[in-house]
Amino acid sequence: MISLKNVSISFGDLQVLKNVSAQFPTGETTAILGRSGAGKSVILKLLVGLLKADSGEVDVLGTELGRASQKELYSLRRRLGMLFQHSALFDSLTVEENIAFPLEQQKTPPPRTEIDRRVAESLNSVGLSGFQARNVSGLSGGQRKRVGLARAIITKPEILLFDEPNSGLDPLTSEAIDALICQMKQDLGITFIVITHDIVGALKVADHLCMLDEGKIVEHAPVKQFLISEHPVVRGFLNRNVSIDDEGGIRAPTVDEIRG
Amino acid sequence: MSLFAKAGHFGHFSWQVICRFVTLRWSVDTTLQHLSQTLFRCFLPVIAVVLPFGMVIALQGLEVFHLFGAERLLASLASVAIIRELSPVLASVLVAAQGGSANTAELGSMATEEELAATKVMGLDPIKLHVVPRVIAMTVACPILNVAGTTAGIGGAFFTAVYVKGENAGIFIDQLWEYTTPFDITAAFIKTAVFGLIIGLVSTYLGYYAKGGAAGVGKAVNSTVVNSILLFIAANYLLTSAMFGAMS
Amino acid sequence: MRVAGPVVRALAATGRFGLFSSRFIRVMFQHRPPFRRALDEAYRIGVQSLPVLLTIAAFVGTNLTMQGYHAFKPMGGEKMVGMFVGLAGVRELAPIIAAAMIAAKVGTEMASRIAVMRIREEIDALSVMAVNPHWYLVTPRLMATILVLPALTVLSIYGMLVASYGVAVYQLGLNGQEFLDFLQRGATVTDLAYGAMKSLVFGTIICLVSCYCGFYSKPGPRGVGSATNSAVVTSAVVCVMVNYIISELVYGR
Repeated sequence: MISLKNVSISFGDLQVLKNVSAQFPTGETTAILGRSGAGKSVILKLLVGLLKADSGEVDVLGTELGRASQKELYSLRRRLGMLFQHSALFDSLTVEENIAFPLEQQKTPPPRTEIDRRVAESLNSVGLSGFQARNVSGLSGGQRKRVGLARAIITKPEILLFDEPNSGLDPLTSEAIDALICQMKQDLGITFIVITHDIVGALKVADHLCMLDEGKIVEHAPVKQFLISEHPVVRGFLNRNVSIDDEGGIRAPTVDEIRG
Repeated sequence: MSLFAKAGHFGHFSWQVICRFVTLRWSVDTTLQHLSQTLFRCFLPVIAVVLPFGMVIALQGLEVFHLFGAERLLASLASVAIIRELSPVLASVLVAAQGGSANTAELGSMATEEELAATKVMGLDPIKLHVVPRVIAMTVACPILNVAGTTAGIGGAFFTAVYVKGENAGIFIDQLWEYTTPFDITAAFIKTAVFGLIIGLVSTYLGYYAKGGAAGVGKAVNSTVVNSILLFIAANYLLTSAMFGAMS
Repeated sequence: MRVAGPVVRALAATGRFGLFSSRFIRVMFQHRPPFRRALDEAYRIGVQSLPVLLTIAAFVGTNLTMQGYHAFKPMGGEKMVGMFVGLAGVRELAPIIAAAMIAAKVGTEMASRIAVMRIREEIDALSVMAVNPHWYLVTPRLMATILVLPALTVLSIYGMLVASYGVAVYQLGLNGQEFLDFLQRGATVTDLAYGAMKSLVFGTIICLVSCYCGFYSKPGPRGVGSATNSAVVTSAVVCVMVNYIISELVYGR
């Protein structure tokens, strides 16, 4: 279970989150949307303990992050997996070494054969079978994301977090990554938190959508409800990018609708 | 690139810089700006390094001279050692580390963020605009900083000799210039100007041709410090041999 | 006031550095020592630094000998150059020049590597994967530095002496045996040991300062360049100051 209760945080004079409260349902996918600089990445960092809130409570899987000790924090992180915006892979290591890293760094790492098996399994599920010995520095953007994802799932986490999974990708690759995330969602059935500004991708992937604007949550609802929201920022994101068809589902907008 | 190819490339770059310098196609304003920046940046580090070294010279020197009862010779030894060799070399090491790496970092960022390419596309000459002023500034700054360093070094020696080891201040000051000749001072100026030129050319060269984003800039800065020092220390040997050859 | 700003910043940085080092030292013993990574790092440091170190040590030796000769000649003491090289070179110059070059080569590399990792969020990734980044990044480097630096220093001392001998005998025409006799009066094996010990201290300083500069670097390529810059300058300055303290303790009356 993940929740924020009256969380506020500022950097210098800039207050990034103002008294934000939200609950992210277990086992479901929530997409957090907002303009650049609205505070989306900050929420993600709060959830993994890379940042501490100035006030309020951040609760993840029963641990209150504001009061957690280093040990508790590290213990919690072992139950999470995160895909960073630029994948944050270690360039000096191979694909295999990157993916195996969280396993090898455990206090009592599993035997080599077990690690190899799990790496192969992970690579398989992200569509990169056989990539073990490749050098990370030679991979394309999409491939890097896949490796990053493979690394995030190898410890069988209870929560997966995504920081702008589509950033820096061309439309085709972006679509492929969205499809991959949907597939993972079906296979793993765990809680997904996705930070994005790509509304179309979010609608494909998420069960719930949460819109951040100027440090506050302006809309937080399941998809169907979100689509008919009247809030101007939500409408701004939706209009021209997404259209609702006659049965209340989403379809791609026509050229006229795009051009407005 | 092989070593020879690199040397040739560097030589070509240096030639371009020198041509523009000689034909006066550079801005005095920008040069003075860089000069003051370099002086400001390097002043404290140079002093922070040469001063303790002066202290150590006094320390070790006194140990030795104590054996011969020749403590009064310390002042002259210290000043000669500092003026002729220690200050020029140490000050230049710090200028390379602080000023040189700053040059490389700045030019490297400009290179990797495509600012230099943009300048060329606008029909301007990035070498004239960015490189030549920095090289001139470095060549001028180094001797100036050396003077500061030498003063600090001798001050440090004085401090240790008089206040820590209890030697006589008057004798120290009196003996200070015993063995120092005007030639020494000139030689130090020439040396540090040459060192400054080397540091300027190497640091701007490595920054100008930096590739590979932030990591490339890091590598370039790394190379600058090591290679500048390597080159000017070799030059130091040649210069010193020549100067003392000339003397005797 | 223009002076107060930098001074306050320097003090704040020193405090942060103290915190960084203590955090690191606390963590250092919590996990298995990374022997394999430390050895890899040690090999890299040793192999990469040695040629540069030897070359520079050699040139320091040449100039030391030349200057010493010309300084003592007026007093008729040119034969004592060997002793001068021993005292100034072995005891002081070689260790500090070795430290300066290590700071320039190894320190900058550590700082820039870590700074780039910071930009690419790799340090955050380590934290999120429940690996303490301080421990993971600094420990192997510190172990490698401690392992390798004394050997490098001793080797550079020898490099310096070889070059000194060369200049003394072949360029200045002194008697080789006399040179060596006087050399041994100026510096003994004990001094060599003190030099190695000094290098341990310098190595620790360089490693911690460089890693600190990398950890707290600012974003962008300029931040990386700046971190690299600070690493070498701060290491050099601190080493030189500590050098005086050590020399005073070891050689002072």
